[in-house]
Amino acid sequence: MNINTGFRRWSALAVIGGMFMTGGAQAQSGTPECIAPAKPGGGYDLTCRLAAQGLQETGLIDQQMMVRYMPGGIGAVAYNHVIGVRPDDANLIVAASTGAAVNLALGKFGEYGVDDVRWLGALGADYGAIVVGADAPWQNLDELMQDLKSEPGEIVFGSGGTIGSQDWMKAALTAKAAGIKPKSLRYVAFEGGGAALAALLGDHIDVFTGDLAELKPRLADGDVRVLAALSEERVGGPFADIPTAKEQGYDVQWPIWRGYYVGPEVSDADYQAWVDKLKKLADSPKFAELRAARGLFPMARFGDSFDDYVKEQVGEFKALADEVGLTQ
Amino acid sequence: MNIAADRILGIVLLGLAAFVAAQAMQLHVPFSYDPLGPKAFPLGLSVLLAVFSLVLLFRPGTNGDWPRGVLVLKLLGVLLTLLVYALVFTSLGYLPATALVVLVLSRLFGAPWAKAAISGVLVALGSYLLFTQAMGILLPASDWLTALT
Amino acid sequence: MWDFLAQGFAVALTPLNLGLAFLGALIGTLFGALPGIGPINGIAILMPLAYTMGLPAESSLILLAAIYTGSEYGGRMSSILLNVPGDAGAVFTTLDGNPLAKQGLAGPALGLSAVSSFIGATLAILGITLFAPLLARVAVMFGPAEFFALMVFAFASMSAMMGKDPLKTAIGAVLGVLVATIGVDSGTGVLRFTFGIPELYDGIDFIVLIIGLFAISEILLMLEHSHTSDDGGAMAPLGRVMVRLKEVLFCKWAILRSGLIGFVIGVLPGTGASVAGAVAYTTEKRLSDQKGTFGKGDMRGLSAPESANNAAAVGAFVPMLTLGIPGSGTTAVMLGALMLYNITPGPTMFTEHTAVAGGLIASLYLGNLMLLLLNLPLAGLFARVLTIPRWLLVPAIAILAFVGVFQLHSNLYAIFLMLIVGVMGYLLRKLGFSLAPIILGYVLGGLMEQNLRRALAISGGDSGILWQSGISIGLWIAAAMLIVLPWLLPWLWRKRNAASCSLSK
Repeated sequence: MNINTGFRRWSALAVIGGMFMTGGAQAQSGTPECIAPAKPGGGYDLTCRLAAQGLQETGLIDQQMMVRYMPGGIGAVAYNHVIGVRPDDANLIVAASTGAAVNLALGKFGEYGVDDVRWLGALGADYGAIVVGADAPWQNLDELMQDLKSEPGEIVFGSGGTIGSQDWMKAALTAKAAGIKPKSLRYVAFEGGGAALAALLGDHIDVFTGDLAELKPRLADGDVRVLAALSEERVGGPFADIPTAKEQGYDVQWPIWRGYYVGPEVSDADYQAWVDKLKKLADSPKFAELRAARGLFPMARFGDSFDDYVKEQVGEFKALADEVGLTQ
Repeated sequence: MNIAADRILGIVLLGLAAFVAAQAMQLHVPFSYDPLGPKAFPLGLSVLLAVFSLVLLFRPGTNGDWPRGVLVLKLLGVLLTLLVYALVFTSLGYLPATALVVLVLSRLFGAPWAKAAISGVLVALGSYLLFTQAMGILLPASDWLTALT
Repeated sequence: MWDFLAQGFAVALTPLNLGLAFLGALIGTLFGALPGIGPINGIAILMPLAYTMGLPAESSLILLAAIYTGSEYGGRMSSILLNVPGDAGAVFTTLDGNPLAKQGLAGPALGLSAVSSFIGATLAILGITLFAPLLARVAVMFGPAEFFALMVFAFASMSAMMGKDPLKTAIGAVLGVLVATIGVDSGTGVLRFTFGIPELYDGIDFIVLIIGLFAISEILLMLEHSHTSDDGGAMAPLGRVMVRLKEVLFCKWAILRSGLIGFVIGVLPGTGASVAGAVAYTTEKRLSDQKGTFGKGDMRGLSAPESANNAAAVGAFVPMLTLGIPGSGTTAVMLGALMLYNITPGPTMFTEHTAVAGGLIASLYLGNLMLLLLNLPLAGLFARVLTIPRWLLVPAIAILAFVGVFQLHSNLYAIFLMLIVGVMGYLLRKLGFSLAPIILGYVLGGLMEQNLRRALAISGGDSGILWQSGISIGLWIAAAMLIVLPWLLPWLWRKRNAASCSLSK
């Protein structure tokens, strides 16, 4: 089931002539492909396009990388497709993110687990952020945490995802850091971070646990205050003034990595070839521009180190899910 | 016979309402931040649906014109064609599958064989060029043919 | 405050977008002219393709908006010439349009409807320009509780105004809401009605749903029509091509009144062009049909619904852009198009996506002008579309549906689902259901449930939050009036008539 590609160079005549002889449409067997396990336009689409455009513009691949959409099952459809149908396809990579790791931890990908694919590497990351309105009473994270400790039911949290989603995890971890059970939070799930941000601006919620990149336009307007970035250390650029949660004494970190995996039966040589390509890509200055244009911060973890990272992360999420009673 | 269609619909919808309610009852939630949870809405809908279906059962409207005879066969033919199109869309590849389907559909809609065959080839080719060349859309390839040669 | 319009014109006047607006107007007119392929079908079929062509969001939206308004123009052709409404919005166009055509005035009728459409749409675009940014400011105040009240209001206005069969409208809406509950519950993350099928986890995709409901069921219905009647044949001759100024002036009040009615109805969420046409026609008949000429080829009876349904088509953009609530089935589809681009319309639309919002509005001005220029002289040419045989049309629809769905899903499952939905759509239409309530139920129902639950999560379970703000109270009262008035008015009417009768005795 290949998808044809470089057809534009064929003339119309060749197509007509070739139609019944060769079946016309056909793919060169080496066409690299990236599956975005979602509808067009979301974060996975962005992840695939980052790799496609980067690899193409830096000349690391000679053919254009195809981006294919395979929505369904919050990524489970693509996961099952790769393992079940194309486990040894060396030309196929699939976009993944922290959200996929959360879903794997919660067992939402069906029979398959984190060990059933080979994790390639991550090309960029965004970080969680704890955001309040510009007129909110809290000037820093500690003030919020103190209030949260004394009256957890009075502060309304909101973000762009359901219970158990990566957006919710940020609120849950924040609560945990304040010594509050995630269950006893007051939390509202919106359809996407944009809607949650709008609710914060309209004073319908008190605290928004979102991502840094999407806040950029709001920071300039000054309608929100970011109490903490959930990164290991401060990120630069327009966010340089935002302290991390860690430096304020609460060790909450939430990187949202954007990376890729390949099928379980891809050979070591092919796996290594992809790892090398991604490594080279991450080092090129051109790629840094592309990544920044998509609002992502640098993150470079490849090969076995990334594979270990994802597995460890899934383990942590599992423990957290058990703790708050999400798994049955 | 004259008022059967709405009655059948009423019974089907009543069944659907019961099914929805039964399924909703089985939903298990670890915890929920809102007092309603995921069950309330489907349950409410199933009650509404049941009430409406009962109204429909007791006060059915007029029966529409239902297809019969050859037309039923033709309708099934169109559906079958579309189903086959879906099945061979990726395995056969876009061009042959489309040419075939256009041929069959044209025939079902009353085109003579010659016209149907010509339009099959032309529509398949024309749409193929339009999609791939002008719009840059990916279409399934015909790998099996290359395998043959 | 109208910076967005200047920026919008800058966007809309680029050669690419100007060309797209023209192309969209042309395609839209053609789509609208094809019997059965109304605006929803046209946009549903072309939307995935527009996205994959790699057009930027504003260009894509401009193209779709032009197709939308163009198809409202085109819808009148089969109504007037063949007495077959292209879509629900054009039903009332047939009432006086076809008699006119039969009197040999098909050309002037087409011209008059083009002018009426233009004026109606222009009124509505002016309305958008004035009110959309204001509404956007109010919209920030809309929290979950207000949205819930708005949804209640939307369903109430649907119940008050829609359809000849209220029971089936209600059932259709409930079915639509039920479909929306399939998939991950966005409050708790629980899977509902997915039966262990991963493809259903994300719910039934909107594109699959509408292409199935409209395009596939249309193919089956067309087969019936082609079986029971022969197509072509019945087309009326065009006659004189241009409409006279005198004729337009004769209808001026009908056009202006209906344009206003259409705009207001279009702005209300949950109602659309079909309702606008109905209300405008009946209003105009009540006001100006002294000689009983309506329904027999009265020009005012043609221009009223034409002006209204185009105004409503434009008005429906207001709630879509400012609140993210579609005012009609078609704008519900356009909303889906915006989602493809990761743009969630809402209060911040005019500040964060100024180019998209402004460009869209500016392109409505331009597209509308293009449509008038395109439609007046070329009416005869467009009318030829009606003569495309079904055996060529149907395969084309099938191909567009398949390629569109496959493109977005790369998955045969989605195509099967589309076919199943198509068969359901066919059966429902045969049973006398209209599809718009199902689509609106799907779109509005999901919002209704989630916002109710969000509101209660915010208040910690206290239902008082639902009627706390002035906005919600206003919406609740408006919703109650919509439900009560249709019962109350006839009663009052009868009472007054009875009184005057007894007086005259």
